[in-house]
Amino acid sequence: MTTLKIAAATLTLAAAFGNARAEEFTVGVPIPLTGAMARSGTGMYEGIQTAAEMFNKSNAKHKIKLIAVDDESNPAKAVSAVEKLASQGVVALVGGFGSNIIGPASDAANKLNLVYMTAGGVDNDLTKRGYKSFFRINNTQGYERAVTTLFAEQGVKSVSIIYSTKEATADLAKDMEKALTPKGVKVTLHAFDPAITDFKPIINKIKLQDKPEVILMSAYENDYVGIIRAAKVLKPEVKSIVGVWSLATTKMAKEFPDLMPNIIGTSLLPSPVDFKQPEGKAFGDAYKKMFNKEVDYLAQFGYVKAQLLFEAIARAADNGSLKKGGLADELRKTNKDTLIGRVQFDANGDNLNFRHRMGQHQGGKIVIVSPKDEATGPIVWPGLPW
Amino acid sequence: MSELIFQALYSGLLVGGVYALIALGLALTFGTMRVINLAHGELVLLAAYMAYVVESRLQLNPVFAIPLAVLVACTCSALVYLLVDRIRKNRELNSLMLTFAIGIVITNAVLLIFSGDVRSTGSPLLQDAIQLGPLFSMKSELGAFVVSLVLVLVLWQWLSRSWYGRAVRAVSSNRDAAKLMGINPARTELISFIVAGALAACAGVALYSSSVVHPALGHALTVKAFIITVLAGVGSVPGVLAAALLLGVTEAMTVTLWSSALQELVGMVLFLVVLLVLPNGLFGSAKRRG
Repeated sequence: MTTLKIAAATLTLAAAFGNARAEEFTVGVPIPLTGAMARSGTGMYEGIQTAAEMFNKSNAKHKIKLIAVDDESNPAKAVSAVEKLASQGVVALVGGFGSNIIGPASDAANKLNLVYMTAGGVDNDLTKRGYKSFFRINNTQGYERAVTTLFAEQGVKSVSIIYSTKEATADLAKDMEKALTPKGVKVTLHAFDPAITDFKPIINKIKLQDKPEVILMSAYENDYVGIIRAAKVLKPEVKSIVGVWSLATTKMAKEFPDLMPNIIGTSLLPSPVDFKQPEGKAFGDAYKKMFNKEVDYLAQFGYVKAQLLFEAIARAADNGSLKKGGLADELRKTNKDTLIGRVQFDANGDNLNFRHRMGQHQGGKIVIVSPKDEATGPIVWPGLPW
Repeated sequence: MSELIFQALYSGLLVGGVYALIALGLALTFGTMRVINLAHGELVLLAAYMAYVVESRLQLNPVFAIPLAVLVACTCSALVYLLVDRIRKNRELNSLMLTFAIGIVITNAVLLIFSGDVRSTGSPLLQDAIQLGPLFSMKSELGAFVVSLVLVLVLWQWLSRSWYGRAVRAVSSNRDAAKLMGINPARTELISFIVAGALAACAGVALYSSSVVHPALGHALTVKAFIITVLAGVGSVPGVLAAALLLGVTEAMTVTLWSSALQELVGMVLFLVVLLVLPNGLFGSAKRRG
């Protein structure tokens, strides 16, 4: 009788333990860890890893396992990465950086019926394809709204836009022109090839011919440094120099202290980071523990997109639709307040509510200066690095 | 308008000076060994990162990084040569693949060690503006231009006057005949690569001082250096300077008079037109000059 009781108890425990074991889902991360986009890709990947770590700690029923493949900042290799990850049985993909890379990679994912979630491609064409499997949490409109709000608040009447001919930067510049011209703002455009390093001839044209109130840069980090440096040499009579992504960051403040004072760029948070919500604080702590540094905007975007995807996977697994291709439908139901604001996806997978803020480099810190109702400090206007 | 044009000419000349500095090493190895060192841009990049190390870790002006940059770039260049020298068949083609692969290795090593961040000097001494009448530039750009002129002159004199320089030219003209004259071709070629490494080191420090560097830049530098070398005419040292200045001025004038988006395209069109009209390049001829 005793033997029978022990056997029964053992079986019950074994069954209970078996049921309690969390179901593991593998998520693919095709992302540039080398090549031209390595810095951005690495930053995003750190955020994704933090999201997986936090999800696994807080979720007893489901676990996420990440498999990352470096796409080397190369569109063809990004397609191979997607195909490789699909062959390894991933349930979805999260990652990518650069619209020209995300385009073909998400094409491949769509053919394989795999959800592709990103925060690294803002090109308008990405969501015009009408893919059911494509989702992104940021877009050109969010950046455009942030810059136009700043200009409206400061009463800007003329702008010279210097933009890289890459897809996302060119799109943003043209959208800015469309948004500002009807408001009576005089806009002049100066496209440049991404390979150029000497911006003095462009800045000189702006100084002598355009004579704008503001120079707006739609470009990337290395371009920003070249443009501001050329402006510092030629000193055009402008009130401010404004940029978009990757500019109002602590990294830029630290690396280029002579160039950054009073420069304005898009920024979700002030620096030092001051998270208001408990979730933000938890993310900041987990990130610091894992990577021994302060959160930046790349990690924040990486975290949010991955978090939304992991939660949708868990919901789809719970309602039994995950294996029947229901993940995209589950993601489309998303309506959540996140660290970048409320996220809701439209039919094409674009975030309906994405809106950025503008931060200004002030004394080695980033102060949110626009929109005025969300500002953490007063704007320095006119304000230039020289 | 004249103010714009003069500034564009000046900026173009200064950029051309840096281009010449980048292309000199490649032109030397291409001219002497017919080996297109596709890792040359990465050697320049490596030297630029040495300047970053000296500035960020030792808090010294990047100019003081030249000895370290020369040591690192010359060692790497010598290693490239030792690997190329092991190629027994079809050296011109196989060396392309080998040096391309070495370039990838160096780029990824730089990425692993220094991360993908953009780097540039913060030294006010190098970054501050200098005004010559109505013309503006950074001090570092003017400095790099002067260094470029000096190095072109020194290299030209070395090739035409020194025993080793003559040996390099002899090996490049006829390796077997040079052997009969008592010249050790392997040693001479190694010296060419070491000198190319030293030139790459100077170019790297100049680049870090006047522009921005990041790990993915090496390949673009190699392409630019290759265009200038071919434009100049293989084996012509003064031609490298002339071709680099022509390219720099053409690019700057394109931005000023046309569109900055067309700058690279116009450079390539210039390259193709020169090759169509003068297949041996601007200063190349069947019988090469110094």
